Amino acid sequence: MTVTTLFKSATATAAITLSVAAAPALAEYPERPVTMIVAWGAGGSTDTMARIFSDYIGEDLGQRFVVENREGAGGEVGWTALANAEADGYTIGLINSPSFESKGIVRDDVGYSMEDIRPLVNVVTDPGVIAVSADSPYETLDDFVEAAKENPGELSVSHEGVGGDDHLAALDFTDKAGIDVNFVTFDGNAEATAALQGGHIDAFEGNMSEVANQIENGSVRALAVWSSERMDAIPDVPTGQEQGYDVISAASRGLAVPAELSDEQYNTLLEAARGVIENEEFRAELAELNMPVVPIYGEDFVQFLENNRDTLQNLWEKDPWIEQ
Amino acid sequence: MQDLLIALGNIFEPDSLFVLIIGTLAGMVIGSLPGLSSTMGVALVIPITFSMSPENSLILLGAVYVSSVYGGSITAILLRTPGTDASIATALDGYPLAQQGRGAEAVGMATIASLIGGIFSTILLIAVAPPLSRIALSFGPVDYAVLAVFGMVTIIGVVSSNPIKGAVSAAAGLLLATIGMDNFTATQRFTFGESSLFDGVPLLPALIGLFSISQAIALSVPKSASILSETADISHGRPYPSVELIRKCLRTIMKSSIIGSAIGVLPGAGTSIAAFISYNEARRSSKTPENFGKGEIEGVAASEAANNAVTGGTLVPTLTLGIPGNAVTAVFVGGLTIHGMAPGPRLFTDFADVTYTLILSLFLANLMFAIIGLGVGRYLVYVTRIPGSVLGPLVLAFSFIGTYALRNNLFDVGLALCFGILGYFMERRNYPAAPLVIALILGPIFEVNFRRAMQISSWDLTIFFDRPLTIFLMVLVVAAVALPVWQHRKAKRAIAESIGNESATEKS
Repeated sequence: MTVTTLFKSATATAAITLSVAAAPALAEYPERPVTMIVAWGAGGSTDTMARIFSDYIGEDLGQRFVVENREGAGGEVGWTALANAEADGYTIGLINSPSFESKGIVRDDVGYSMEDIRPLVNVVTDPGVIAVSADSPYETLDDFVEAAKENPGELSVSHEGVGGDDHLAALDFTDKAGIDVNFVTFDGNAEATAALQGGHIDAFEGNMSEVANQIENGSVRALAVWSSERMDAIPDVPTGQEQGYDVISAASRGLAVPAELSDEQYNTLLEAARGVIENEEFRAELAELNMPVVPIYGEDFVQFLENNRDTLQNLWEKDPWIEQ
Repeated sequence: MQDLLIALGNIFEPDSLFVLIIGTLAGMVIGSLPGLSSTMGVALVIPITFSMSPENSLILLGAVYVSSVYGGSITAILLRTPGTDASIATALDGYPLAQQGRGAEAVGMATIASLIGGIFSTILLIAVAPPLSRIALSFGPVDYAVLAVFGMVTIIGVVSSNPIKGAVSAAAGLLLATIGMDNFTATQRFTFGESSLFDGVPLLPALIGLFSISQAIALSVPKSASILSETADISHGRPYPSVELIRKCLRTIMKSSIIGSAIGVLPGAGTSIAAFISYNEARRSSKTPENFGKGEIEGVAASEAANNAVTGGTLVPTLTLGIPGNAVTAVFVGGLTIHGMAPGPRLFTDFADVTYTLILSLFLANLMFAIIGLGVGRYLVYVTRIPGSVLGPLVLAFSFIGTYALRNNLFDVGLALCFGILGYFMERRNYPAAPLVIALILGPIFEVNFRRAMQISSWDLTIFFDRPLTIFLMVLVVAAVALPVWQHRKAKRAIAESIGNESATEKS
């Protein structure tokens, strides 16, 4: 190939590239694959949900939605990336409540601000569960509370990190029950359930989808689910309210976009997400994973998170959950 | 039994065999590339399994898992660049062997040891899965804390002829392990506001830096670049280890298979710890312990049998209780759940045919990588003939790509480079890198479990003396410290005596 032909083909390529690059003004969004930032590692519950969701929304919008795991710092790394991403509609992400709202309350040097991210839709709300091992003597919340009152500071309850929904639920419960227990911090439910089944801790505080299978197979017994109604996945487990303990707690997983995204693209994504959530097949897949679908769309989701933040802010000012 | 027959039918379907071969090859490549860990390999193929049948996807995951653990050994031996952390101990003797022109022989031994270890642990998995997982569950936070100390003490004694330098390296690792978000108080420690450090110093970039990039630097420095070209003369070495040599190592291989399987069942402790403990045991019981670290093929056999024996072991608690023993099997749980199979006892009842398909595929994957390894592994020795000026940049490129791919984070690449420079100078000053890495893994395990134990007992230290298991583990720690010291003294006394005798004869 001579220099001239090389030059010619280069100009030709450039021309083609330019004409393609000029096209988006006319074409429908999305034009190319969309990146979905998951702030957790592959194989986790948020990642699993994201991957299923990406298949459906991708099919709907005729473009691939590619999950990108940006894990670290309990979601902060991924959410910081989402907040700083270009608002061109080609980077969206998943957020988890209440961690997403609570970080800024505890620390003032969080990498993202809630204002930099616009919530799109909540998909799953996974209620809190308190559970004991199958051979534990406690059958109900009252049994546990009674034992804790007889042995103050002796029983231990696990949770997954200070300030997370499990920790806050456990605090709320022990506060309302008027008991003093030892909180034991775990990094994930796998280790915590192992410790529970090995008899090293007395109770486990986590989310339903994490232990529904173990509840079903009988290796773990749930004392209560922290929701207002019983859950389909674990119909035999009574709520806290049924047993006289008014505790409501859940972890929510939803989609969000960079705040500067155009309303047009926001609405395209919102409608596509609505289609996915209303799809029976999608719901069946999530039901299989014991993830309850609780859709909260657009502005309602924004409001939901803001309310949550205000509640947590009040709680923090009244009684900080971390010693300072 | 019927499920086993169905599983047997499943695995010999043409498409299943195809998936098995692809998985084995992919696993070997992933495992041998520094920076691509077994965890990453399994995680990478999970999206591919979405569209597959549950049987085939488990075959793929299983094949990638076991063959990636094996694959790490080839580069560990030939390039001193362990493809995965499982093969760090393999490099200790494998690389000196390669330098002596016995690279092919070492790869052969690693393959045979991996095969035996893998098959052994799979038999164990199929035979005693439920009772063994109950033993694992009896390990509580206190026990993990002691186990972590045991691991660190062992490693310091293992990797270096100079325990002080080993201890310095481990101490540096422990210090680095304090970096990151403290999950108990939600405060940051030594992160200087860098969000990439919130979860602590990421292990794999550190590992890639210390073991691969340092090597790439060494290759690129004139003079030291000749390290590899010196080893290039492999044409005189035996292509395979002799039957006699294999027979000699068989005891070590069997012992390491048992150690590896047992450690695999324990959550938390993984392939690298199993490899180091087995390596140490092989050295301890050897008649010629002084040869270890200088090219003792038994060391390669011990490490490789143990790390592959871990694979079956880790799946015991994963499959029977849904409790993954390590990061790879945690990803496995994700892979199972995607196909609607809840990890737990139901796998052996409702989904028994699928579960047995997975277990059978582990047998076949072990055989497959052994066949490929024995066939092609020999020719892989020629990678050492590639001049340092080519290999160095190549290793560097793979290291950077691998590091970046882990979290799509450029900070990690810079971090790996820093560790690479650190590793290069540590090596020049004869500070072993392995204790640093092990301390980086075990430091947080110790800290977190110690604090959990203290939370459970409300700061009552007697919790360490409550149960026989904990006391037993503490005896192990004491033994791990005392034995080398005692052996060292004994050796010293023997030397002193022989010198004394000599001088006595001189006088007469």
